[in-house]
Amino acid sequence: MQRLSKLGAAASLAAMLASVLAAALAWRYGEAILTFAVTSAMPDPQDGRVTGDSYTNPYFGLSYPLPKGFAEGLAGPDPSHSGYYVLANLVSQAEGAGTILIAAQDTFFDEARRDLAEAASETRDTMAQIDGMSIDREPAEIMIGRQPASRSAWRIDFNGVGLYRAMVITEMRCHLVSITLTAPDPQARETLASSLDQIVLAAGRDPVCIRDYAAGNQLIRKVAPTDMAPSSIPIPARIIIGSDGAVRHVHVIRATDGQRKSIEPALRQWTFKPHTINGRAVEVETGLALGGGGRFTSSN
Amino acid sequence: MAKRTIAYAWSLASLTAILVASVSLPSLAPAQGRGPTDPGVRGGAAGAGDPLTGLTAAELAFFEAAKEVFAEVDAVADGLGPRFNLDSCLGCHSQPASGGSAPAINPQVAVAQRDKNTVPSFITADGPVREARFVRNPDGTPDGGVHGLFVIAGRADAPGCNIAQPNFAAELARNNVVFRIPTPTFGLGLVESTTDAALVASLAANGAQKRALGISGRFNHNGNDGTIARFGWKAQNKSLLLFAGEAYNVEIGVTNDLFPNEREGNPNCQFNHTHPESPTPLESENTPSPSASFQSDIALFAAFMRLLAPPTPAGATPAVAAATTPSSTQVASASSVLPAAAGTTSTAATTSTTSTTATVARGRQVFANIGCSACHTPTQKSGGANVAALSNVTFSPYSDFAVHDMGDRLADGVSQGEANGREFRTAPLWGVGQRVFFLHDGRTKDLGEAIAQHASRGSEANQVIQNFNALAGADRQAVLNFLRSL
Repeated sequence: MQRLSKLGAAASLAAMLASVLAAALAWRYGEAILTFAVTSAMPDPQDGRVTGDSYTNPYFGLSYPLPKGFAEGLAGPDPSHSGYYVLANLVSQAEGAGTILIAAQDTFFDEARRDLAEAASETRDTMAQIDGMSIDREPAEIMIGRQPASRSAWRIDFNGVGLYRAMVITEMRCHLVSITLTAPDPQARETLASSLDQIVLAAGRDPVCIRDYAAGNQLIRKVAPTDMAPSSIPIPARIIIGSDGAVRHVHVIRATDGQRKSIEPALRQWTFKPHTINGRAVEVETGLALGGGGRFTSSN
Repeated sequence: MAKRTIAYAWSLASLTAILVASVSLPSLAPAQGRGPTDPGVRGGAAGAGDPLTGLTAAELAFFEAAKEVFAEVDAVADGLGPRFNLDSCLGCHSQPASGGSAPAINPQVAVAQRDKNTVPSFITADGPVREARFVRNPDGTPDGGVHGLFVIAGRADAPGCNIAQPNFAAELARNNVVFRIPTPTFGLGLVESTTDAALVASLAANGAQKRALGISGRFNHNGNDGTIARFGWKAQNKSLLLFAGEAYNVEIGVTNDLFPNEREGNPNCQFNHTHPESPTPLESENTPSPSASFQSDIALFAAFMRLLAPPTPAGATPAVAAATTPSSTQVASASSVLPAAAGTTSTAATTSTTSTTATVARGRQVFANIGCSACHTPTQKSGGANVAALSNVTFSPYSDFAVHDMGDRLADGVSQGEANGREFRTAPLWGVGQRVFFLHDGRTKDLGEAIAQHASRGSEANQVIQNFNALAGADRQAVLNFLRSL
C-alpha cells in the first residue's frame, strides 16, 4: 500500500512536470500543438523512448536493442493529421555509418486502406520511379523479432547515389509500422537488417482494432465538443472503449491546444454497446475524425 | 491611382543591378574537404522578369502597364505610411529582376536615412530586405503581426506627424522579433491557376517516399472558403490579389480595396484622406492598356505577378534535358557550375559548360534520390485559365505548396491560418540560382547552410538531411550546383 502511494506520488509529479512543459511549449509557440496526453497513464504511439541501449515503445509493446554504435538522433515532427508518426530517429555515432527511421501510420486514417503487401508494393513502385534508384530486393515477406513473439513483415531493398536502404513494414496494434534502414554499403545494410531479429514484442492483450466503430450504431451516447475552434481539416482522434462500453482513453492525435481541450472531455462521455467476441466483452480501439466539414457553406 | 515617381525606382533598380552583378561572380575555390561550396549567385542575364510567352497583345500591354505600377514609389500623399517597410514593391522584389526577392544591397537603409528614421540593428546594407513580426503582445498573448520598421514622421511631406518607430531593441532583448524576407513572384500565375485537386494529388503521389523519410505535410486552407491557400512563407494567402492587397497596406501603408483601413490611426499622421487611399479609378489613368487604366493598384500588382514568366534555369537546353547520368566521379567541382560568362568563348569555357551539364544532371538525380524532391516537388500542372498562356501548363516550381514542420531551428512562433509556429510552406526553388538570401528570414546567403538549417528537433526534413550528409562530397556539391542552375 505504501509502495502504491509512492507510485501515485511519482505519477502525480510526472503529470505536473508534463503540465509545466506543456505550458512552456504553449508560451513559446503560441498555437503550438501539444501532442502528448498529460493526464492519462495509458501510452500513446508516440510515447516510445530510447533508454540505455534500447528503443522501447509501451504502446506497441516493442523493445529494440539498438545496433552497436547507434544512439537517438533528432526527434521527428508531431503526429500528422493523417495519423502518421515519426517514432524514432536512430543514428550511428560513426559518421555516415547509417540511420534507422521508425515510423507508423494509423490504419484508421489511411485513406488507401493498404495492407502490408500493398504498402510494400507501393513503396517499391514509388522508389523504382526515382531517377537513379535501383530495387535490390523485391518486396518479400520476412519475420522480425525474437521467438516466440516474432511477426510477419515485408521487406524491400533499394539503393541510389551511394545510399543502401531497406524498408521493413509490419502491422502492430492498428498501425503499419515501418523501419527504414539506410547504410553506406550493402553489407552494412544487412547488418542493420539483422538487428531487427533482436526486437522483443510483448505478447500483451491489445484492444481489438475496429475501423469506423464510432460511426456505426454501436454508439449509444455522443457528446459534441463545445467551443471548438473551427478547422477545415478533420481532427484525428483515437479512443479505447472498455469492455463496459465506456471510453477509457482519448488520444487527440493532432490539434491545437484549444481544440484538444474541447475534444477530450467530450469524447470521454461517449458510450458504446460493448463489443463481444465469442460472447465475451472486449476492449476496442478505433479512430474518428472531428470537424473539418460543413463550415464553409456561408459567406457570413 | 496614386501619383507615380518612377525615376527613383529605376535608379534604385539600376544601382542594385550593378551591385548584384559585382557579387555574382562564381566562387573559384574548389570544395574543401567534404563540405560543399555554394557556387554563389548565378551570373549572366537574369533568368526571370519577362512576361509569360504566348500572351496576346492586349495581355502584354496589360503586363507592361502593371509592371510600371509595380515600380512606382509612393509618397505620403499617395498613402505611404504612417508606418511602412519600404515605399515601393520593386524595392523589395528586385533580385534578379522586377518581381524577384531581396536584392544584395538593402534599399531599406537608404530609405530609412532619407526619412530620418533609425535603422534597426537587423537591417544592414548588405543584408536582406526584412519585415519584422512580434511573436507575442506585451501581455503574453500571440501577436504574429508585422510591425512597420519606419515612420513618415521625419518626412517633409508629413508635417505634424510625430509617431515613433517601435522599440525594436527592447523587443529584440526579450527575443520577441522574427523576420520575413520578400518571396519572389515569378511564375505565380501558374501556381494560382493550379487546382486544389491537382495539388492534393501531387502531395499524395509520392506518399510512399514521404513515409520512408518521416515526412507528412498538409495544406494551409483559407478560412473563408476552405480551399488551399498557397502564397507567402506559410501559404497564408489565398490569391495574388489578396497577397498584393495585404502587402500594399502592411509593407507600404497604402490602404486599398481589400484592406481599406489604416493600421496606424494617429490623426496627425493622416494626409491622404481618401478611403481607401488607393481606390479603383473611375477615370482613365492613360496607361498603354485600356483595361489597366481602370484597374486599382493592387489589381495591377496582382496582374503583374500573374503574368510573370517562371524563372528560366541555366541548364534549360536540349543538352541538359538529354543528359545521361554520370557517375559520381564525373561530378565537377564548384568552379565549373556556372555557365560561361557572356562573351566567353575559350576552350576552358566549353569544358566548363560540359562539366556543368554533367554536375547539374547528377545533382538533379541526387536531389530526387535522397528525398529533397519529396517536398520540393519538381513539377505541377496548372488547370484551365482565362489567360491561355496560363492554361494547362506543366511547370517546375520545386514545391508541393504544402506546409511542413521545419523544427526548432526555423520555428518562428507565428501562426498564420492553419500553419502553426513551426510550419512553413515548401519554398519553391525555381529561380534559387539567382537568389541572394535564403530561408524565411534571410538568415544566410549560403545554400549549404540553408540546407543544414532544415534539420533540427521536430523537423520533417531530418532524414533527408541525414541522407544529404551521408553523401559523397562530390554528390553534395552536385546538389548545390544543381540548385544554382535553377
